[in-house]
Amino acid sequence: MNYIKTLLFILFVGQISAQEKQSILLLNGYLHVGNGEVIESGLVGIRNGKIDLVRNSLAYTFNKEDWDTIIDLQGQHIYPAFVAPNSTLGLTEIDAIRATRDFDEVGQYNPHIRSQIAFNVESKVNSTVRTNGVMLAQATPRGGGISGTSSIMALDGWNWEDATISQDDGIHLNWPASASESGSIEDANSSKRKENYLKQKQAIYQFFELSKRYASLSEKDQNDVRLNAMIACFKGTKRVYIHANELQQLVDVIDFSIRFDLPFPVIIGGYDSHLVTKKLIDAKIPVMLVRTHSLPQNEEDAVDFPYHLPAILQNAGVKFCLQNAGDKETANARNLPFQAGTAMAYGLTEEQAIRSISLSTCEIVGIDNEYGSIQEGKSATLFVSKGNALDMRSNQVNVALIRGIFISTNNFQQELYEKYKKKYNK
Amino acid sequence: MKYYLLLLLLISCYTWGQVIPQNGTIDSKPKFVAFKNAQIIVSPTKTIENGTLLIEGDKIIDIGLLVFPPEDAIIIDCEGRTIIASFIETISSVGLPKPTPLNYSSRPQLESSKKGAYYWNEAIHPEVEADLIYQIDEKANEELIKMGFGLALTHVNDGISQGTGALVSLGFENVNKQIVQPKSTQFYSFEKGISQQTYPSSQMGSIALLRQTFYDLRWYHDSKSSETNISLDKMYESINLPFIFQTADKWEILRAEKIAKEFDYQFNYLGSGNEYEGINELKNIKNTIILPINYPEPYNVKDPYISRLIPLSDLKHWELAPSNPFILKQNNVPICFTSLGQKSAENFWKNIRKSIERGLSQSDALAALTIEPARILKVDTEFGTLDKGKKASFTIYSSNPFEGEAKLLESWLLGDQKVIVESVKHTVSGKYNILIDGKKYPIEITGEGDKLAGKIFTTTQKSDLSMDSVTQKIFVQLVEDDITLQFNIDDSNWKGSMSLHGKVSSKFGVFEGDGMTPNGKWVQWSAIRNDRLETKKTDAKINKIDTSFNSKIWFPNMAYGFENVPTTETTVFRNATVWTNEAQGILKEATVIVTNGKISFVGTGNFTIPNNAKVIDAKGKHITSGIIDEHSHIAISNGVNEGGQAVSAEVSIGDVVTPDDINIYRQLSGGVTASQLLHGSANPIGGQSALIKLKWGSSPEKMLIPNAPKFIKCALGENVKQSNWGDNNSIRFPQTRMGVEQVFYDGYMRVQAYQEEWAKYSKSNLEGKIAPRKDLELEVLSEIFRSERFITCHSYVQSEINMLMHVADSLNFKVNTFTHILEGYKVADKMLAHGVGASTFSDWWAYKFEVNDAIPYNAAIMNEIGLIVAINSDDAEMGRRLNQEAAKGVKYGGMTEEAAWKMVTLNPAKLLHLDDRMGSLKEGKDADIVLWTANPLSIEAKVEMTLVDGVVLFDSERDYLMRSHNQQEKARIISKMLESNEKGEESKPFFKKKSRHFHCDTIGEEGSEEENTH
Repeated sequence: MNYIKTLLFILFVGQISAQEKQSILLLNGYLHVGNGEVIESGLVGIRNGKIDLVRNSLAYTFNKEDWDTIIDLQGQHIYPAFVAPNSTLGLTEIDAIRATRDFDEVGQYNPHIRSQIAFNVESKVNSTVRTNGVMLAQATPRGGGISGTSSIMALDGWNWEDATISQDDGIHLNWPASASESGSIEDANSSKRKENYLKQKQAIYQFFELSKRYASLSEKDQNDVRLNAMIACFKGTKRVYIHANELQQLVDVIDFSIRFDLPFPVIIGGYDSHLVTKKLIDAKIPVMLVRTHSLPQNEEDAVDFPYHLPAILQNAGVKFCLQNAGDKETANARNLPFQAGTAMAYGLTEEQAIRSISLSTCEIVGIDNEYGSIQEGKSATLFVSKGNALDMRSNQVNVALIRGIFISTNNFQQELYEKYKKKYNK
Repeated sequence: MKYYLLLLLLISCYTWGQVIPQNGTIDSKPKFVAFKNAQIIVSPTKTIENGTLLIEGDKIIDIGLLVFPPEDAIIIDCEGRTIIASFIETISSVGLPKPTPLNYSSRPQLESSKKGAYYWNEAIHPEVEADLIYQIDEKANEELIKMGFGLALTHVNDGISQGTGALVSLGFENVNKQIVQPKSTQFYSFEKGISQQTYPSSQMGSIALLRQTFYDLRWYHDSKSSETNISLDKMYESINLPFIFQTADKWEILRAEKIAKEFDYQFNYLGSGNEYEGINELKNIKNTIILPINYPEPYNVKDPYISRLIPLSDLKHWELAPSNPFILKQNNVPICFTSLGQKSAENFWKNIRKSIERGLSQSDALAALTIEPARILKVDTEFGTLDKGKKASFTIYSSNPFEGEAKLLESWLLGDQKVIVESVKHTVSGKYNILIDGKKYPIEITGEGDKLAGKIFTTTQKSDLSMDSVTQKIFVQLVEDDITLQFNIDDSNWKGSMSLHGKVSSKFGVFEGDGMTPNGKWVQWSAIRNDRLETKKTDAKINKIDTSFNSKIWFPNMAYGFENVPTTETTVFRNATVWTNEAQGILKEATVIVTNGKISFVGTGNFTIPNNAKVIDAKGKHITSGIIDEHSHIAISNGVNEGGQAVSAEVSIGDVVTPDDINIYRQLSGGVTASQLLHGSANPIGGQSALIKLKWGSSPEKMLIPNAPKFIKCALGENVKQSNWGDNNSIRFPQTRMGVEQVFYDGYMRVQAYQEEWAKYSKSNLEGKIAPRKDLELEVLSEIFRSERFITCHSYVQSEINMLMHVADSLNFKVNTFTHILEGYKVADKMLAHGVGASTFSDWWAYKFEVNDAIPYNAAIMNEIGLIVAINSDDAEMGRRLNQEAAKGVKYGGMTEEAAWKMVTLNPAKLLHLDDRMGSLKEGKDADIVLWTANPLSIEAKVEMTLVDGVVLFDSERDYLMRSHNQQEKARIISKMLESNEKGEESKPFFKKKSRHFHCDTIGEEGSEEENTH
């Protein structure tokens, strides 16, 4: 049990291997349930990888012998695992080195391209992300019109099968730019921009038309690998994640989702989503918001607009969660808690901010029956931080569990730290 | 007017006529021509009504009210017409070939590909002389003539030193006569042009290259070098000609002006049209600015989804651009006009009149087209006015074009007549009654040009005897004066196809002619218009003159700009938690007083509130000194890297600082008050840094910190080796870390030799001795070895860090700061021994191979060892929340909050050797102060106020108000655009540019959206 820092007062540890699912009791923790509720002196009991007990420590008496491990958290904070959706974690290791980049496949419509099987469980990057509390990620392909199919993965495991939380959770559609340059040569002639947009939009409609018809056939006389991958999108077992930011795009995406009667459309980005909140609510489309730590996209936008956006959607009643796509997105994924922290500073309550990177995310990607909050019956995928995990100064992960198994709260960076501290005798 | 045009023959040149052998007998031509009864605008200040202008050959021999033409003079009656001296176009390439690149390759071209004994850089080609290659291009000439120009200064617009321009008259015959002044001016710009050579790749590179060229020119001439350099020989020949320096932005004028001062040259400028935005600085320009008047077209703003994305700066420029000439003139800056960028003569005049509507006087507008260009080209004794003795170059208009729309009738070019025949464009749309063989029908013609259509309304009797009206389509075609109408008809008169042909008199709305009826009969027809259809023509008269726009300039002229730039106020902050960064540490319930831009009191003791002080109760809030970003690339224009060569010490970011970057404001909102703007990391020895304060609303020069220590950027590793630049970039030395080391040794050797040469020169008896060549690169490098310039070195892995310290130790210089320094934790002890500081990222890594061992504990370890450690941004986004980045020092490695906070304030001040004026709250230091809502390291912290030198440049209250103020200003201007859209005036579509930012390895003049950089 060398994972558990000496800070913690471990009452009892049974003799079992690290791989076995133990029964664990976490005591006296400041429990952030993930659904907005708080239990100030919380107690969490874990058996067979599941949470089977959530109580107030002060009002619950337990029997020591019932538990393999008992940890007194002495007021430390318990959080459900944070989730990094729309991420290339596990699909790339060193951005500049092409050999390590496994997220952008050739082709315009690639729903059949699946991230799950390329997911690198031993990624050094992932090891530095989970140690800040971000323990699940949506491994997401990039590029093209439909980039591919993502899967929800745990940031620890023996192999990708073992690490899979939700296989093929959805396809990712990049909505064409409506008003901004896309960098293509045709766009150099700006007067064609609008025309191009309509053409590109039409092409998407055609592909979905084709896919939907294909999905509705009971007997297929052809076997199309692309279209096969689309079937689940119309049946509701795969989400359709649509990457879009501009107002024109958002309005069109809403129409598009209604037109094809998509069971689970999700907007990723949504910079202008505050302008269409009612439409989003009516169409029941949730938003994975553009990176909180990003610059305003227009000269006159409020300087702190991206900081504020989560609170705007919260107050409007739109379902949303945070995501972190952008520059250096893999290494930066460990800062997701602080992006939530910034959203908290700019209008969300602390528990709303926590929800925006845990339960809300799990609801949007469809794994909330097992993940996202610390409630009885759910998977014991959670962590303990010395203090407020949304603040840089107090985010200190001391205990982390994925499906009831302790995972290392150490990473190679900490090892290098220890090694060189010794060099300098500090 | 045709009556006399037909009488006149072309008058050709007298003086040179004999030289060119003539085939046949010589042309017959009149000796004298007199223009009578004209309004003659002799000069901007003198107009003669009903005067006579008498010319002989290419000369004006008399002008006035009482002029008696000789008997053999041809007399032209110009009753009601206006005569104005020919305009002089200063920016033109008429009659010259388009430059084409010498060499295309996907591999970098490091050396000049131009064959011959020319300058080493292809962008310097003073040997290109327009007079040697000028050919008459009738079509191009005519375009200028139609606007009123009679002369053009033509040059090949390419490169930094472009060569000479020739002043030509725009006549169509006898090229020898047309070149009025073969070597008229010399042209320069900051644009590299078609040169494919890698150097220069940035504006600061262009600046350095041009300066070096001017030094080379002097040395080459003074030293009577035994080598031959055709370029420098040619430059020397033309160096006393007037200069025209082409710029693309207001600040480029100031940049060029610095060069002019350095070499004691007088530059005239081609402006860009946004000079008014920098009027406070540009009003000191004594030479002429040639202004393009191609004012921006309005955007199509009918779609609010699109119009909301138009940046306020674009909108404000659209509104204010036509006031540019007036604002400059008002500030006594001499101006010329150029037709550059004008689509048509109509457009050109529309914009002249727009300038007049904004306050420019008619005479100033005329002067800007005539006497001003004549003066700068030194041809004012011959051109520019219609005084006696000057050249017969003038234009005849149907009326005064400066007062309203006028027709340009003819142009006289050095005494040669050029008649402008406008092809007749009839407007025929309207409702007519057409009479065919005595039968009358109503018809309607719509459209214009070659897109005409029509309808004829007939009535037929139905079988039940009732009448039925039928509308039939007419095919209409109009060629010059001839109109044809063709339609089917089915009524009591005819059944079948009717074809009519006729002549048009659109003025009277009459057609008449003949045609064939369906039954084959040849008949007469006519049509009379009884109603014109809508005419969209806008009024070409000068509207009301409105100078109120001048007050609408913001500084900078964009969102969150100031209408009036604020000044320092005496301010007292009371009851705050004060992070002093001094021995007192963090004080509770303390007071900070700002007087005259300095901190005059910090503490909890007694103080007196100065008179007129603004007192701010900061209870529950925190006050710190401003954040200093040791590594930033904001506020830089046209390139952050001069990557064209391995060593580019000669370039300076200080030359290209721009105050118009919205990120300055955004970073103020995050508490940043000062930054080191670094050259990028594309080469081992980069360029000089600019140390700035984030003075929003100020000028480039005022942003630079006065008497700041000198810095230069060096770089090691992957960027320098071009590792991630693709397979084509494998030519430039160095391509390995091994090579990088030798770049430094080589630089040292070259400096040694250079210094020795100069030492020998200064020791010797100076008389008669020629000074050695001044080398800007080696001058700057010598400063490093003389410890007069500090090095900030981009570095990642321990091997290269160690290497540079060894190089430095062996050559007896010091590295001041390692920036990035992500493996500094591995060699922190060696760094301490060398005495170098560190400026690093809090937690960046994984973006390239050399950051694979980067750990977020780096800062804490180096700090613990005793190095001076700063956290920097190198990123416009992170730059505005460096407080959060500093706080990570607490998480990764357990630093104290005070120590963590110093990493973004006092420590960078120390690394920049500015800690005597910045970095802490101490009496006497600069009042660079931030008021925070909470502990600045906390995730909850927000900036309420940022002061730079005691001036409140960010205030959350003003910020809040400005958000809606910006939107109101946008809405106001968009509604004006919409008005213009609705009138059917020309407009352009808007599409949004992706915002680009400079990073360490951004190449070229545009910012990048590249990832994986730094």
